[in-house]
Amino acid sequence: MITGKEKSAQWKPAQPIAILIVAPFIMVAVVILSVLYGAKDMSFSIVLDAILHYDRENVDHAIIVTSRLPRVLAALLVGAFLAISGAVMQGMTRNYLASPSIMGVTDGSAFFITIAMILLPGASNLTMIMLSMAGSAFGALIVFGFGSLLRGGLSPVRLAIIGTVIGTFLSSLSALMATYFQISQDISFWYNAKLHQADMDMLLLALPLGLVGFILALLLSGSLTILSLGDETAVSLGQRTTVVKALAMIAVIAMTGTAVALVGKIGFVGLIIPHITRFLVGVDYRWLIPCSGVIGAIFLACCDLASRFINYPFETPIGVVTAIIGVPFFLYLIRTKGGGKHA
Amino acid sequence: MRKKKRLFGTLSVFALLIVVTIYISLTNGAFDMTVGEVVGTLLGTNDDPRFELIIFDFRLPRIVIAALVGMGLGVAGTVIQGITRNGLADSGILGINAGAGAAIVIFMFFFQGQISDLGTMGIMLQPIFGLVGGLIAALTIYFFSFKGGRLDTERLLLTGIAIGSGFGALSLYLSLKMKSADFEMATVWISGSIYNANWIYILSMLPWLLILVPVVFQKAHLLDLFQLEEATVTSIGVKVEREKSILLLASIGIISSCVSVSGSISFIGLMAPHIARSLVGTRHRSIIPVSGAVGMLLVLIADFIAKTAFAPNEIPVGIVVSIIGVPYFLYLLVKRKQ
Repeated sequence: MITGKEKSAQWKPAQPIAILIVAPFIMVAVVILSVLYGAKDMSFSIVLDAILHYDRENVDHAIIVTSRLPRVLAALLVGAFLAISGAVMQGMTRNYLASPSIMGVTDGSAFFITIAMILLPGASNLTMIMLSMAGSAFGALIVFGFGSLLRGGLSPVRLAIIGTVIGTFLSSLSALMATYFQISQDISFWYNAKLHQADMDMLLLALPLGLVGFILALLLSGSLTILSLGDETAVSLGQRTTVVKALAMIAVIAMTGTAVALVGKIGFVGLIIPHITRFLVGVDYRWLIPCSGVIGAIFLACCDLASRFINYPFETPIGVVTAIIGVPFFLYLIRTKGGGKHA
Repeated sequence: MRKKKRLFGTLSVFALLIVVTIYISLTNGAFDMTVGEVVGTLLGTNDDPRFELIIFDFRLPRIVIAALVGMGLGVAGTVIQGITRNGLADSGILGINAGAGAAIVIFMFFFQGQISDLGTMGIMLQPIFGLVGGLIAALTIYFFSFKGGRLDTERLLLTGIAIGSGFGALSLYLSLKMKSADFEMATVWISGSIYNANWIYILSMLPWLLILVPVVFQKAHLLDLFQLEEATVTSIGVKVEREKSILLLASIGIISSCVSVSGSISFIGLMAPHIARSLVGTRHRSIIPVSGAVGMLLVLIADFIAKTAFAPNEIPVGIVVSIIGVPYFLYLLVKRKQ
């Protein structure tokens, strides 16, 4: 992996390496399952045929190449981006509840997308992704700005409350505008996070932009480990904390903005996955970030697969699936970690 | 004596404002009417069937529901803030609304397509289901936020938010499995709306309010005591836990009957008690009626905005309320810590 090869005493690389080796196999398995099963089950030979000898006239081929494949790839990508964003935010703010959907980042993004749909109908995919990123930055700015105005406003529970409430506000405004301009139907596609509208063009555009954030996060991972020990410690170790935080935020904005532009608001992935990963690989962000990425990718792709079968043959919005898993986990975190302590 | 006067004065002003709002709401809309026409129709002297239809079938039930829901949420919000001793508590934020809503959606789900067959009976049953859901939500919140012998304010809020989002997901999931006609009705609970108001709904919530609001008012003085230290209250001889349970149960009952007709409207239970406290002081016997009046006025205004601002499109009233409510919540958050 890109995470550097040097070994030091506190590294416990056995588990993370195992995860990073096994993960690709699981991913391939999930991709295959995801392409094979759905409203119409496909046989393996048709899938192979569709990829090797794509025939535009063949309906099955078309389903596989234009719908199933982009969908599972989008799920993997978005899962990874959201999970890494959450990990970065948790390390940066030392807040165990930090995550893109709780801190207003996804709502900011969706808010800008709503405005874009009104003011710039027919905007290009690239414009949408850029605006989505700008919206992520906007949401994060309001939430953290407001939080830092308050004494104790950056403590985990309080920031989560501020983030949720501001998120409610932004999404209410979005709903208001959507109603006024009669685009509620279009907007609800974003809100209910319908992965199946993911298309290849959008995916190819999102990939490099999100990857910028991913690489930035990897480059920052060492600094994040130090930062997660606390600001004073980081400063005394000679770290320029402001620069690291600003860059980390850019990474989050790039990844979350891309994710929301691709599939809409999906909650809880960025909250849960970093915790599970931390449990598995420890607190070194050089391992935590790539491992969160692969685990998040697999998690979301599995949720997507589940969303097709929970209420077969109808699809369940994937946000519902992640909430069913996420809410109990969230409650568990509040219960065990309490209000004042840091991650 | 002066306090009585002040309470009376405040209530009179609100009564006037409410009447004015109702008047504006009755006369304005897709079809404007004059005062004479409205009064004539209400008194039965003007028997133009168009006016009768608009007033009695569309505008009046909606206004009555907005008023009742606002009053209920205002009163229940005061009780919840009093019991939790938490000025940021609100049945919407705490997820009680979502719990009640989810239970009602479950009820609708099991009687899919039969709601109209069940008719009045079905609608009358909805608040009971709401009550069960609201109670489950309240118990869950209590279980998760009660730790080390005390109720932690912020953990309470965050737990409520989590519970609310869980029940919201459940409602969304079930509503998607419904037939499209029922789905229309179910989506109402997700953002809070009074658009399908009719007299049967009013009938279904009225008994709850008529019984439970007086119960709450009768026990209002206990809420004053709860603001003291627990040990002090017990030493006076009040069965604290018992009284708290009764008050909480009553307020969840009120909330459920409101949610069963209008869906989840947040922030009214947050704002109304604060406004009331700033107007008439700290005695709950004064706060409760004023809070009810404030809630009534707020929902009436919000519903008027919801139906006219972007006409012919309607905005769910819950969205209008949260656009006003969120800044207020943040303002309280800032003020509280200073």
